[in-house]
Amino acid sequence: MKNNSKKKKNKNQISFYFEDYNETNKKNKILKKTNNIQDRMYLLFFFFFSLILIFSIKITYISLDQKNILNKEKYSSQFTLIRRDIVDRNGVIISRNINTFHAAIDPKLVKDKSNFLIKLRLNFPELPIQEIEKKLNEKKYFRIKKRISQIEKDKFWSMGEKAIKFEPFQARMYTHGQLFSHIIGQVDYDNYGISGLEKYFDKELKDKKQLHEPLKLTLDSNIQHIINTELNEAVKTFNASGGGALLLDVNSGDIISLVSLPNFNINQRTSIKDEKYINKITKGIYELGSIFKTFTLALALDHNLVNANTIIQNIPRKIRCSIHEITDIKEHPKNLSVEEILIRSSNVGSVLLAKKVGVEKYKNFIKETNLTKNPEIELTEVGVPHQIKWNRCKLETISFGHGITTTPLQATALYAAMSNGGKLIKPSLIKDRKMKKPKKIISTDTSNKINAILRKVVTSKHGTASLADKDGYLIGGKTGTAESYGDKKNRINSFISVFPTNKPNYTLFIMLENPKINKDLIYNYRGIKTKAPLNTSGWNSVFVAGKIIEKIGPILAINNDEFTDLYVAEKFN
Amino acid sequence: MFKAKLIISVSLFFTLLVVTSVIKNQTRIIEKKIVNLKVNVLNKKNVINEAQLDFHYLSSPSELEKKINIIGFKKYQPIKHSNIFYSFHDFSKLQNKISKLKDK
Repeated sequence: MKNNSKKKKNKNQISFYFEDYNETNKKNKILKKTNNIQDRMYLLFFFFFSLILIFSIKITYISLDQKNILNKEKYSSQFTLIRRDIVDRNGVIISRNINTFHAAIDPKLVKDKSNFLIKLRLNFPELPIQEIEKKLNEKKYFRIKKRISQIEKDKFWSMGEKAIKFEPFQARMYTHGQLFSHIIGQVDYDNYGISGLEKYFDKELKDKKQLHEPLKLTLDSNIQHIINTELNEAVKTFNASGGGALLLDVNSGDIISLVSLPNFNINQRTSIKDEKYINKITKGIYELGSIFKTFTLALALDHNLVNANTIIQNIPRKIRCSIHEITDIKEHPKNLSVEEILIRSSNVGSVLLAKKVGVEKYKNFIKETNLTKNPEIELTEVGVPHQIKWNRCKLETISFGHGITTTPLQATALYAAMSNGGKLIKPSLIKDRKMKKPKKIISTDTSNKINAILRKVVTSKHGTASLADKDGYLIGGKTGTAESYGDKKNRINSFISVFPTNKPNYTLFIMLENPKINKDLIYNYRGIKTKAPLNTSGWNSVFVAGKIIEKIGPILAINNDEFTDLYVAEKFN
Repeated sequence: MFKAKLIISVSLFFTLLVVTSVIKNQTRIIEKKIVNLKVNVLNKKNVINEAQLDFHYLSSPSELEKKINIIGFKKYQPIKHSNIFYSFHDFSKLQNKISKLKDK
């Protein structure tokens, strides 16, 4: 009630507002101050926000850009190998990259030059000190020794000089030294292939996707060593200027061994310009002589012009063709069977067979077999055979292997085709490769006949390869004694063998360059002790091939039932 | 009210900043450890590579031949195929053949 009366009282009351300016100013000041603080707080907030933003951006950047902080590239380049391994068919390492160093000197960091040079001379007497002194005076960074070994590195360390720097570097090491020198080749200091397989497969060997997979070859280190040792011994025994050997799987074309002498140590980098160091198997161009008689005979058999027992009557002592006079070294009977022409290696008989075959068929055969084209193999060192001009007498001379040049690789591949049923295989150094269906050049029947005749060349009384008759391996083959093309002084004694002839698996080519008769060497020739009467393949290359096959046979695991019986019979008769 | 919000925001930012830094630092330490381990692995691989190379060099036929020569064997002796028996059965079969030949 009281309240109502108060309201009623104040109903018409005029209000007065008394402003206390002091208080208002005070209030305004406080308000202004508060606003200022708020602004500062905002500013501070903005400042911290910017700081956090900057930190966040930096953190994000650092997180994303790990390479720079952790220097992964540096580590990986130091340890990751930049070239694939090369291994043989059993997984034995032939070449691999290793981390090594070049030693260099920064002359600015050398404190006592004379003391430094004394230490250097004491530890490395082979280094050219005067030249180093001159370079030190020039005050420019230089390499003192390339590709140092761990022992040398330790020696440099022990000198305790800051000026010596070690530059990481990858070197290619070859575990077998000179054994595969003509096949593997070399790389330069920048790991680029400069010869052999290293050059041919340079891109593949550097392929980062395949770095952990080695390049597997068809070669066998043990067999390669045996052949290399025997051939080296033969070169010494017969005082030859060089030699070559090739072992080929006749069915797959796998090259199990390829030796060319002289060879060189591929771990030592030297520039070799002497022609005697060429790969004689793939780059050497030779007139292989009587080895070609097998092809003449195969053509005559394959075209059903003759069979193995057909008698060729009245074979003359010599045949004249233009200015050429074709004769036989030995005197043979006037009437010879076709197989005897090959067994006795009659030049005149081969000419008569070639005439039966005819130029066109022979031409087609050479064209089909690519004998005079560049050999196809995974090496850059290949020879180019001379092109044949089919003039008068060409067929006659080619029939016994003269006037035609080819590489031992191509001749061996063709022998493989002669013995494997007629399939012209492509020799290769790469294991597990894609293989094309081989071209058939002669029938299986002809091939079987050829194998039987080649066996007789070794076993027959008049055969030229008796020294290769090793129990159990059923070796067959054909000898060839000829001159090097364009150099009549350069003599080539070769022998291509096929074994075991009942089911051929391998063909082995042996070649000796300029061999001489070894007067001290006593042969066991069909049970008789004798010295070599002639400097022909039969007395050197065949002898070497026999020794090699006897040693590599057990590794190649040639199992032969016939051998066991032969051996026992021989023992008790 | 305003002050409380501001304090919370600022302390939240500070806390986040510290936590981020700590996490980042820990990550960096862990990453460094990983890299060190990776380097160790690469180093070990390198050692294995060189050891394998040494093994293949020392067991290469030419080196083995040298060692054999040092031991005293002058040359490898090729074993004739007939002297290798893959089973006792093969051996006894051969012995029977020999005795038959002797009887004759």
